[in-house]
Amino acid sequence: MIRLISVLAILFVCAPMGPAWAEGLLIIANPSVTFAPPLTLREIEAIYLLRITNWPDGSHIVPVNREASSEIRARFTEEALKQDNASLAAYWNEMHFQGKMPPVVQESEPAMLAFVRRVPGAIGYISASTAADGVKVLSHVP
Amino acid sequence: MSKREAGPRRRAGPRAYGLPTLLFAAAISACLPTRSAKADSGYELGHGYTVGPFNFAGYGEITLAAPDEGRKTVSLEDFSLFVTGHVNRWLNPFVEGELTHLDFTHSGPSGSDHGDGSFVLERLYNDFELTDSLTFRLGKMLTPVGSWNVIHGAPLVLTTVRPAVTYRNFSEYLTGASLIYTDPDGDNPGLEVYWQPDREFSERPNSITFDQYKMVEGLHLTIPLSLLDQIGFSYQRSQDSRNINQSLFGLDFKYTIDKLTLQGEATYSFLGDGASGHQPRAEAAAYLAGSYALDDIWSVYSWYEGFSSRDYAAVSHDLLAGVAFHPVPAMSIKVEYLQNIGGPPVNPTGLFASWSILF
Repeated sequence: MIRLISVLAILFVCAPMGPAWAEGLLIIANPSVTFAPPLTLREIEAIYLLRITNWPDGSHIVPVNREASSEIRARFTEEALKQDNASLAAYWNEMHFQGKMPPVVQESEPAMLAFVRRVPGAIGYISASTAADGVKVLSHVP
Repeated sequence: MSKREAGPRRRAGPRAYGLPTLLFAAAISACLPTRSAKADSGYELGHGYTVGPFNFAGYGEITLAAPDEGRKTVSLEDFSLFVTGHVNRWLNPFVEGELTHLDFTHSGPSGSDHGDGSFVLERLYNDFELTDSLTFRLGKMLTPVGSWNVIHGAPLVLTTVRPAVTYRNFSEYLTGASLIYTDPDGDNPGLEVYWQPDREFSERPNSITFDQYKMVEGLHLTIPLSLLDQIGFSYQRSQDSRNINQSLFGLDFKYTIDKLTLQGEATYSFLGDGASGHQPRAEAAAYLAGSYALDDIWSVYSWYEGFSSRDYAAVSHDLLAGVAFHPVPAMSIKVEYLQNIGGPPVNPTGLFASWSILF
């Protein structure tokens, strides 16, 4: 029993203590999206910077983002979009004023999954450790 | 976007708080997101509300204008609502209506502006997305002369008082067609070519504009330097209300070095047929602005402008300095002082302040 407790204690101490998204991000889409994976970082950037607004079959792309304060959004902004939050916020405000719809915001991972699962054309991101049930995985951002 | 302070057609007259004032103050309050709304809906200030393929948004600006001479006002400079739709490649409507120049209160001598407020149709168009990089736009839109005119929402621009070069001496609006090329990778220059066959649809009233233009055509080339920085070249040919033909050439830029952002615009217009003998045959203007971010929410800024109008032989020189507070990117509070340092005043010397929000 003591040995078991010791092993469990060691496993607990040695377990990764970082946030779930430390394992990377999954780029997910609604199952109706016919795009053949993988989606490149350039394509992800073009979608979230509102430069590409339609999937190859002509259906509308609905990019989805997490709330501004979330750590996973900061990671996505830095790793996938290669931008900082302040510049990106200013950019989206300018684009919005010029008639481009900024990404829809969902405030939790379950909400993100549910939205992408439900809305045709939607694309979003979740932690790689989260089960991507009912959505299509387009790429993995390490 | 305060640009009426020195408006030559400003009307005057005494008035106090009225029902429209109270209604729009209430409307602004109602449109501001509450904490509970934010928590429930995932609303992000500045991004509007999305319902299906439509997004409902807008912006508001309340301005304090205290020129050394002339009427001092607290006014609703702009209250704008716009709807963006993305249904499919061929149906992407956009409409924007605005209440502008509504004085809450004023004091001082009468000028030429009652400040009663005007409803205007800013934009009404549809985008046909021909390809990922090519869009055909049909309707009423903003003309891409420089960058300030197409991103003129008060929370998005540097100062309360606009440099005159960003809105005078050219047609700000276009009713017609334009073809827009945008590089999906953002590496190559973008190009917009536009054409208005006759007059502007739903022209703004003379009390809030400097001139009306017709038969407008032009182009704008944008060379991206980074996400927000760019160099632009403008050309516009038009005919003003006195049937003077003009050809405008413009250069604009925005460049960021760490916490310092520089931006500017210069235009030169040749005035052709229709100009009378005593008028200048050309006019030119330029401004150069700098802003320095003290931290994430505070910044200081300044601009200088030299402006020549077809109506005056002398060049105006204005200098402005101010401080801005951005608690969030979609909201700003600005306080600034403008000093006319030579020539006939284009903007009046005095203190100006504004609170603006994109919602």
